[in-house]
Amino acid sequence: MKKVYVLIGNYGSGKTELALNFAFKAAEEGKRTELLDLDMVNTYFRLAERGKMTEMKEIRLVSPNFSCSGIETLSLPAEVASAFAMDWDTVVFDVGGDAVGSTALGRYHQDFMELEPGALEVLNVVNIRRPLAGTVEKIIRLQEEMEVHSRLKITGMINNTNLAEATGPAELRDGYEMIREVSERTGVPVLYTSGKKAMMDQFLSEGHDPKYIGTPLYIDTYMARDWNSWVRSLSE
Amino acid sequence: MALTLMKGSEAIAEAAIRAGARFFFGYPITPQTEIPEYMSARMPEVGGCFLQAESEVAAINMVYGAASTGARVITSSSSPGVSLKQEGISYCAGAQLPCVILNVMRGGPGLGSIQASQGDYNQAVKGGGNGDYHLITYAPSSIQEAINIFSFAFDKAEKYRVPVLFLADGIMAQMMEPVEMPEMVDFKVDPEKKPWAATGWKPGDDPAKRAVINSLYINTEELTVHNNELQATYREIEKNEVLYEAYLCEDADFVITAFGTVARIAKSAINELREQGIKVGLFRPITVWPFPYKELAEASRNAKALLDVEANEGQMLQDVKLAINGAKPVEYFGHCGSLMPTTDEIVAKILEMKEGK
Repeated sequence: MKKVYVLIGNYGSGKTELALNFAFKAAEEGKRTELLDLDMVNTYFRLAERGKMTEMKEIRLVSPNFSCSGIETLSLPAEVASAFAMDWDTVVFDVGGDAVGSTALGRYHQDFMELEPGALEVLNVVNIRRPLAGTVEKIIRLQEEMEVHSRLKITGMINNTNLAEATGPAELRDGYEMIREVSERTGVPVLYTSGKKAMMDQFLSEGHDPKYIGTPLYIDTYMARDWNSWVRSLSE
Repeated sequence: MALTLMKGSEAIAEAAIRAGARFFFGYPITPQTEIPEYMSARMPEVGGCFLQAESEVAAINMVYGAASTGARVITSSSSPGVSLKQEGISYCAGAQLPCVILNVMRGGPGLGSIQASQGDYNQAVKGGGNGDYHLITYAPSSIQEAINIFSFAFDKAEKYRVPVLFLADGIMAQMMEPVEMPEMVDFKVDPEKKPWAATGWKPGDDPAKRAVINSLYINTEELTVHNNELQATYREIEKNEVLYEAYLCEDADFVITAFGTVARIAKSAINELREQGIKVGLFRPITVWPFPYKELAEASRNAKALLDVEANEGQMLQDVKLAINGAKPVEYFGHCGSLMPTTDEIVAKILEMKEGK
């Protein structure tokens, strides 16, 4: 059965990074995979920047018209329809941040509704270290707004709490505590917890309730910018 | 306090609010549109005012109006938008209005590109508008530094009654770094401390104390007196407000001069060169006006030569040369437009200088 993952969430919560990880994992398992960039908000972090990588892994990438050419028109190509019309094993939608970003999904409402039952996962990527997702109330409000704008029901959350290169063991743990409360209050399950291997193993060994961890996702970072390397020399 | 992962634009906006800014007027332009976006969500939460003006020209004139009341007010834009604001900035300088202007530089001239650049250095420090005026101009090199500077930027603007300019670039606005935010400042306009501000006048009050906010002095003598006062203020600022960082300059054979994001790239290059045993240091002006002339001359006293690195045609190079005053060779490396100098390029350039090519 075709599996469709839609990644929405707070601006800068790590959706694009996770989208690549979901797609790469699927492709490595031999699945026919399509990856769609539906970000109509931020023109700076485009999947197309990793176009060579996705091509080498035989993943089909659909990007907004003229993306990365310097003349963004913020319009979606007709090929988005291929996600629904063609026979993929895995489809991953990387959507723009916040409610405003998830608006782009609304246009495909009919297509999403016609998917087989159980095919669709709408995942809210949560990083509680981001200022507008730093409290239970903010996460819940954002979740509700995104559902209205996307015309989709969120089926699960991903705990992707991180501080980029400065991530420590406290990040996943604090994320776990807060997202657990969100889950208890909204009934939306925690389906995944994602992080780099060392952090994740440390977190998993702490004996938290698996119900609020979901499936552990070991991720790699592909979207790191060249400027990240300059950050290091700053602290010296 | 826990660290937060913030994008430069958001962090700068939040830092401004925490420093007491309650009025934001602006017009969207890449790569800083996240600043107005964040302000539009945040200002109502703190009882402030976010207003998307019909143009950059309108926005800076709204700044003029709001700053006249003594409030803490801010506007942001990117290069072409900041060009549009120049008339209003000159008016603010003339009327001695404290306010903060952010320029998130992108490639130029004209509409240029939406990628980072440092092409507005001259506009910022040599006066983009008309008349003899200066802005205290900060060129932070990290998001945290921008936040830290914000905690005193309004105080400086108010102390000297001058507009303050932040010279950032597209990379700083778009990059994300873990940062620590200061506490919210409880700022209220105090008419006693700001007798010049238009905070309300009722019949019976001393007419001589009415606030007149103005940059027009038709009478030549009056304009001269006004300018002399401004000049005296600028000399005070030059004396008191210079900020810079000198990194490994003490024993350096070569001192690199760079500001903002480019200084970080230079720092990486310096670390690489140091590992090869080549003694290189960095001199980074944090205030590009007032420029640390004396401090640069002092920091590079043991150096054989200097290398100025910029993401422009070498606009700061002229100030570096003034500081060195012909005492030693000063070379330049960089690119115009939006192409950032890279660590490798800087390393190669220093090696070339070392071999005397």
